[in-house]
Amino acid sequence: MATPPVIDRNLLRHLAELARLHVPADRQEALLQQVQRVVEAFDAVRDLPPASAPAPAPALSAAPLRPDQPEAPLPLAEVLANAPVAAGGMFVVPRVVEG
Amino acid sequence: MTALWQLSARQLARLVQSGEVSARELARTFLDRVDRLDPALRAFVDHRGERALADADAVDAALARGEPVGPLAGVPVAWKDNLVRRGEVTSAGSRMLASYRSPFTATALQRLEAAGAVLLGRTNMDEFGMGSSTENSAHGPTRNPWQPDCVPGGSSGGSAAAVAADLCPLAVGSDTGGSVRQPAALCGVVGLKPSYGRVSRSGLIAYASSLDCVGVLARTVDDAALWLRCTAGSDPGDPTSAAEALPEFAVEARPDLRGLRIGLPWELNGPGLADEIEAVLADARAQLRTLGAELVECSLPHVSVAVPTYYLLAMAEAASNLARYDGVRYGFRGAASGSCEAMTTASRSSGFGAEVQRRLLLGTFALSCGYQDEYYGKATQARERLREDFRRAFAGCDLLVSPTSPVPAFPLGSRIDDPLAMYLCDALTVPASLAGLPALSQPCGRTAAGLPVGLQWMAPPRREDLLLQAAHVFERHTDHHLPRALP
Repeated sequence: MATPPVIDRNLLRHLAELARLHVPADRQEALLQQVQRVVEAFDAVRDLPPASAPAPAPALSAAPLRPDQPEAPLPLAEVLANAPVAAGGMFVVPRVVEG
Repeated sequence: MTALWQLSARQLARLVQSGEVSARELARTFLDRVDRLDPALRAFVDHRGERALADADAVDAALARGEPVGPLAGVPVAWKDNLVRRGEVTSAGSRMLASYRSPFTATALQRLEAAGAVLLGRTNMDEFGMGSSTENSAHGPTRNPWQPDCVPGGSSGGSAAAVAADLCPLAVGSDTGGSVRQPAALCGVVGLKPSYGRVSRSGLIAYASSLDCVGVLARTVDDAALWLRCTAGSDPGDPTSAAEALPEFAVEARPDLRGLRIGLPWELNGPGLADEIEAVLADARAQLRTLGAELVECSLPHVSVAVPTYYLLAMAEAASNLARYDGVRYGFRGAASGSCEAMTTASRSSGFGAEVQRRLLLGTFALSCGYQDEYYGKATQARERLREDFRRAFAGCDLLVSPTSPVPAFPLGSRIDDPLAMYLCDALTVPASLAGLPALSQPCGRTAAGLPVGLQWMAPPRREDLLLQAAHVFERHTDHHLPRALP
């Protein structure tokens, strides 16, 4: 039986970075304990004996294809209506290019 | 005399079609109940008030002109806050989407309106469908109409509570791992999760795309069948929607259950059940025998890993699906100085609630380098083995039954800090979700404290006809669906 991995602060920080989340210091300990318990509980799937054949592709990839035809896009005003910040017909984001 | 709010959707539609009651009168009746009862329940996050009355007037005007109206003519229908409607706010129970207005309408809602339904308002839910108690909502928790100190279940808890309190005869929900069936059980109403792909997901805010299904909460099995008839069918907006049409069937066609072999998977009918649930289910099984069914024991061996399998797949898909919330194109933007990445992190950290963040971290873990094969990969294999378990079980029986939930409605706040305890609430519903099967929960009795208990039916793929007909027989010969939670 495999030993569940230990979720330590470094791994939690790495996962948070990948998920684009910030975990405040005062929440880290409780979250570590919760995540560790869940990972231990989920460990049973690792003990499944290897499949004799690979799992079939998910149903999504078996979905019927539709004709590759362009459709009318949404009007720009509707696209921008939900933007947190927009200006000049564009989404506004922090500067990514210096100069 | 029976009040309008006590009638089924089918009965209400007939009254409107015959001109005995106007659609406006119906909308007014249910809006008045919402105004009177919902401040304590908080099943709705918003109701459409005057807009719903205007839509009802349009149904009445069509009738007055002699135009055909649909099978749901004038019936007020609520919908879960994760199905979009053009120009109206859809928040998915999240601060992230608190002011989001969709540029299009979900196909399921379009079809309901085309059938004459009057959309009453949005119902509360666990944020992005992640929860089993409707406590994980930016709008606050919903209460169970039978016991206000208890949860209504989740994540479609607002829809279940709304139907149980007779605030509407039908409410749309969504079911990823039991989010229609479990709250239906805890609130004492009918909850139908169709086969995966039976009802279009277009306009349903994604949680876990290989599992998400649009479903319904209803007072009666017949109303759930009526809803399915109006919403099922392929849709170019959802490439996973089934091309195969729903077969014609009469829900009341069976006089009893003779000729049906009903399987009892022992893994879902014993281990981990609360004593009171077990006692109520024993009575329900006896009733099934009385109605002529042959009950046979069977086994679904991989149910033992169904909960971790479900959560690993759902969390992994959520980690991918919710990557779109970056604070740029729509949704909440957090305050941050510096880079785009800092802005995205600030937006997601403030916009998502605690449970969503926990699941995103776990989903990222399941997909991350070094763990993907061992967790996500193994979970996809376990899912296929569970599907094979069901194929074998259905070779020996027509339908399967089990309790819907291992526990009745539990006190608000009692599980919210223990994610694992909350995840185990779904232990009996996730197997059918993983296999994409149609499943239904219906009331089958009560605990000593008067809390409802649900009986879950599971059918082979695309056999909603058999599922609904059998459940209708049980409903017709019992009275568990008759008591009302609130006057």
